Amino acid sequence: MFSRWNWVACGFYLVLNICSPDASGGLVQSCGHIIPESPVLALGSNFTALCILNESCLDFGNIYASQIIWKIKNRLVPKEQYREINRTVSSVTFNDTSTLATPLTCNILADGQIEQNIYGITVTVGLAPEKPKNLSCIVHQVSRFTYVMTCTWNPGRHTFLDTQFRLRYSWPEEMFPDCIPKDVNNSCTVTDIQFFVNTEIWVEATNALGKAESDPLVVDPIDIVKPLSPQNVSVSSGILPTVLKLSWENWISDAVMTLKFNIRYKIVGDTNWMEVPSEDTASPRTSFSVQGLRPYTEYVFSIRCMKEDGVGYWSDWSEEKTGITTEDEPSKGPPLWRIIDTSHSPASWTVHLIWKALKPFEANGVILQYEVTVRDKSSLSCPVKKYNVTSTNHTLQLPEGTYEVTLIARNSVGASPPSVLLIPASNSKAPVKNLRTLPKHDKLWVGWTAPNSYVLKYVIEWCLLSSSSDCIIDWQIALGDVQGIDLKGIKPFKCYLITVYPLYADGQGSGQSVKAYLKQDRPSKGPTVQTKKVGKAEAVLTWNHLTVEEQNGFIRNYTILYKTIDGNETVVTVDPSKTEYTLSSLTSDTLYTVRMMASTDNGSRTGPDFTFTTQKFGKGEIEAIVVPVCLAFLLIVLLGVLFCFNKRDLIKKHIWPIVPDPSKSNIAQWSPQVPAKHNFNSKDQMSPEGSLTDVSIVEIEADDKKSFSEQDLKPFDLLKKEKSTSEGHSSGIGGSSCMSSPRQSVSDSDEGETTQNTSSTVQYSTVVLNGYRDQTPVQVFSRSESTQPLLDSEERSEDHAGGAESTAQRQQYFRQNGGQDETNTDRPSFERTKQVTHANEGDLVGFVQLQISGQSSQPLGLGMEKNIQEAALSNVLQTCTEGQAVRPETVEENPLSVDEMPKSYLPQTVRQGGYMPQ
Amino acid sequence: MAAADSPSTALRRRDLCSRGIRLAGKMRADVVDLLDAYVEQQGLDASASVAAVEGVPLAAVERWDEQTGTQRLLENLAAYRAFRALLAQMLEEQREQLGEADEGLGRALAAVLLQVSAFAYHLEELLRLESRGVPGEEGDGPPPPPRLSLFEQKLRGLGVLRELAQWAVRSVRDLRQLTKPSPATGAAPSLAESP
Repeated sequence: MFSRWNWVACGFYLVLNICSPDASGGLVQSCGHIIPESPVLALGSNFTALCILNESCLDFGNIYASQIIWKIKNRLVPKEQYREINRTVSSVTFNDTSTLATPLTCNILADGQIEQNIYGITVTVGLAPEKPKNLSCIVHQVSRFTYVMTCTWNPGRHTFLDTQFRLRYSWPEEMFPDCIPKDVNNSCTVTDIQFFVNTEIWVEATNALGKAESDPLVVDPIDIVKPLSPQNVSVSSGILPTVLKLSWENWISDAVMTLKFNIRYKIVGDTNWMEVPSEDTASPRTSFSVQGLRPYTEYVFSIRCMKEDGVGYWSDWSEEKTGITTEDEPSKGPPLWRIIDTSHSPASWTVHLIWKALKPFEANGVILQYEVTVRDKSSLSCPVKKYNVTSTNHTLQLPEGTYEVTLIARNSVGASPPSVLLIPASNSKAPVKNLRTLPKHDKLWVGWTAPNSYVLKYVIEWCLLSSSSDCIIDWQIALGDVQGIDLKGIKPFKCYLITVYPLYADGQGSGQSVKAYLKQDRPSKGPTVQTKKVGKAEAVLTWNHLTVEEQNGFIRNYTILYKTIDGNETVVTVDPSKTEYTLSSLTSDTLYTVRMMASTDNGSRTGPDFTFTTQKFGKGEIEAIVVPVCLAFLLIVLLGVLFCFNKRDLIKKHIWPIVPDPSKSNIAQWSPQVPAKHNFNSKDQMSPEGSLTDVSIVEIEADDKKSFSEQDLKPFDLLKKEKSTSEGHSSGIGGSSCMSSPRQSVSDSDEGETTQNTSSTVQYSTVVLNGYRDQTPVQVFSRSESTQPLLDSEERSEDHAGGAESTAQRQQYFRQNGGQDETNTDRPSFERTKQVTHANEGDLVGFVQLQISGQSSQPLGLGMEKNIQEAALSNVLQTCTEGQAVRPETVEENPLSVDEMPKSYLPQTVRQGGYMPQ
Repeated sequence: MAAADSPSTALRRRDLCSRGIRLAGKMRADVVDLLDAYVEQQGLDASASVAAVEGVPLAAVERWDEQTGTQRLLENLAAYRAFRALLAQMLEEQREQLGEADEGLGRALAAVLLQVSAFAYHLEELLRLESRGVPGEEGDGPPPPPRLSLFEQKLRGLGVLRELAQWAVRSVRDLRQLTKPSPATGAAPSLAESP
């Protein structure tokens, strides 16, 4: 119990002591302290610190040095570095201060576990200053009487400590105030400078770890002066055109120092300076006349100075001043040349005299005018002509001859020496030989071999070739003793035409020309190739030459590259002079891609791709195939036509089948109610009423056939086959099937009777037709499924009334109003067919038609269905002949005219006249 | 004593003489400029006549060309030591009168004072080269001048500067004379011609 309270009291006491604000004089005294207090240590040295506990804490807090632990910035120091000196002192040793950090604390483990801080110190680690090196000083002249000395030095390594540098200087018997740098540690400026006394200057570096001094510099400040540059520089021209006088003021008195000077100058615009020889300006002065200058040239001057004995520093160059020399007379005549235009008339020349303006150093002033003198050498009597020109060309109209042209340039001072050009009647002298060019950096050297005769000078003409503009000639004159010149202003990648003329004393040689490039490049574009002609195995390619602007160099060759889509590329090299090439050995009917490349010495450029497809057939192959085919086709067509012609009747039947007109049937004629119908003509059919054709279903009793004698039927036998054809077209509507009905409805397009032996139940239809061609079109076609015996009764009544037939079974047929051949009117109105002649009856077979009630509404009897119909017919016949006498009627072909031919075989209702009982 | 000058000694003497001549020349120029500024600043008449300054040997001396080198050096040294003290007193009086108001004049006075000190150092070095002992400065220096009125201080300052300007001229001539080869000693001039 006691120990618990004891530890609580001890902890409270420790907290009070440790938390005291001031260890020495605070409210509560600390339990210990560290020696040394906040040391500054040399980097890499060893260091030992002591933590000393207060005696009072020993008694009350039961804390001893053995409980002390050391920490560096919360990191425990290994206990191997501890040493317990006595019960109140513990030490810690660091062999290398670089491992130290701030803070270093002394702590104690109370009760073996509770860690309490006793004290802490700040450790500063750094380096002693190094000896400053490379001390140098310079005295700057700030104003006329003010000089400052700036010294610089190398401060050495970084010390990690606050290091003070100070510049010290003294006379042997007098010490001056130190110069302390501001913001820097490697330079300082002294403002109190006295000349002519040797001054000792050195630098002192000091920090917490030591002090270092540089080697002393002993110097008279006057020997390290950099004076101000001369002021108020002015340039004035003198009497001579080659002299300019330079004047200035010195800002340093002779009492301080005497000066020497440097004068530099250059022509305005030049980059290189020239200097007056230094020995000419090695003495004190305030002016100097610069000689040897060019007349009428603007110069820039600048000057600097330093101590006369050369000890010290040059001043900066003064501000630049310009001056211009006075004019002098031109030093030479302008280069003169001519261009002779004889295009108008060979006997009369247009002579363009051209000359170059003198260069400034040749003109020596402003050229006011040129004086041109032309003398006809072929005629002594002709006076000399003089012209005053202000431009650099003059055009003369001269007759063909030999002339001597003299040109003089004149300025305000005088005239130039004359330039003389001989214009001979003909340029028949020897030309230069071996004309060649060679690029030299940005110049193009033109060289030639001189002719054997003595040459006064050469004229070199050159012009930039262009496809869009004329060649603008530039020219230059070279002396007769040279055999090559450099052409300036030549643009790279441009083609120049260069011509050299030798000028002799008595004439002129013919010009020799050469094309040249200063620098070549690959063409700016490739040729555009296209085909001129494409065959089966060859293609003729054509292209245009690149323009001279596009060439960028001499085209050495063209390269044609062609390939199929999946094939290898084939390369063909073509001479650059060609514009056409034939590719051979191509594969037929193949897509080729071709492109073309133009090459110079410096590269190539490929033009756009062009594709073409070789032909499938060669020349004549198509003709060889097409002509026979055409001939064969024509032959076939001819044969077909002949065949059709021979078989026209049959074809006609197929295509334009004859639809019998019931209205023109014999039964109509026969009908007593409509006697007039026997006589109507085709015009009657075109009546408005005729546009709607009423078709009536006439039911004929099958038994009625018996009422006809065999003789009556005979005339109709020949017509059976033809009629049956027409019947076939009209069958299917309203017809009765033998198979489904005991009745048979056989349509007979003829106006003849319809024989039926079917039952009395009769279907009927009403068909409203539009005319075919000029006939009234079929308007309505309807089929009645009615089986009412109305018509039957009517017919019966009518039949009875006619007394002709009164049969139990009737056969339906359609009767068309009008349009029947009147030639048939004399024939028996109908006949009863006994039997059907089929298959072997040739052309008549195909159009046999049965009208079978309820079996089919489709027209049958197209040629392609002939056999089927025949088979059906046969079946029908077989079926019907058993109980019924159903016989297809064969109708003789009616000689109908085209107009009268029924255009439709569809059954129609005969409205006009209505239903006529048969 | 015709000391056998070593080449280095001869070079050293020549250098000191050369530097002293240029220093004296600059000092004269600066003193002339300072005189103008001083007259203007103090409100004096440039043509005012001033009595000789006490304690300063006169620059003008009879039979100047008969003086030996050492004698010249000693006279110069005595004069410039006196000027150094007088200029220091002037600078102090100047600061008392004007405070920091006219730093230009004070700086010019300080510069001339430094030049006088430097020239005195040159003279001492030359005397050492002649193996002559440099006369020590009087322990307490010249007795302090009696308390002068402000105007008298101004006039005395004017007199000091005028005399300094004249001494600068004479010093140049003295040093040039020292650099001339002596007919008796050939190329090795000696200053020990004094009796």
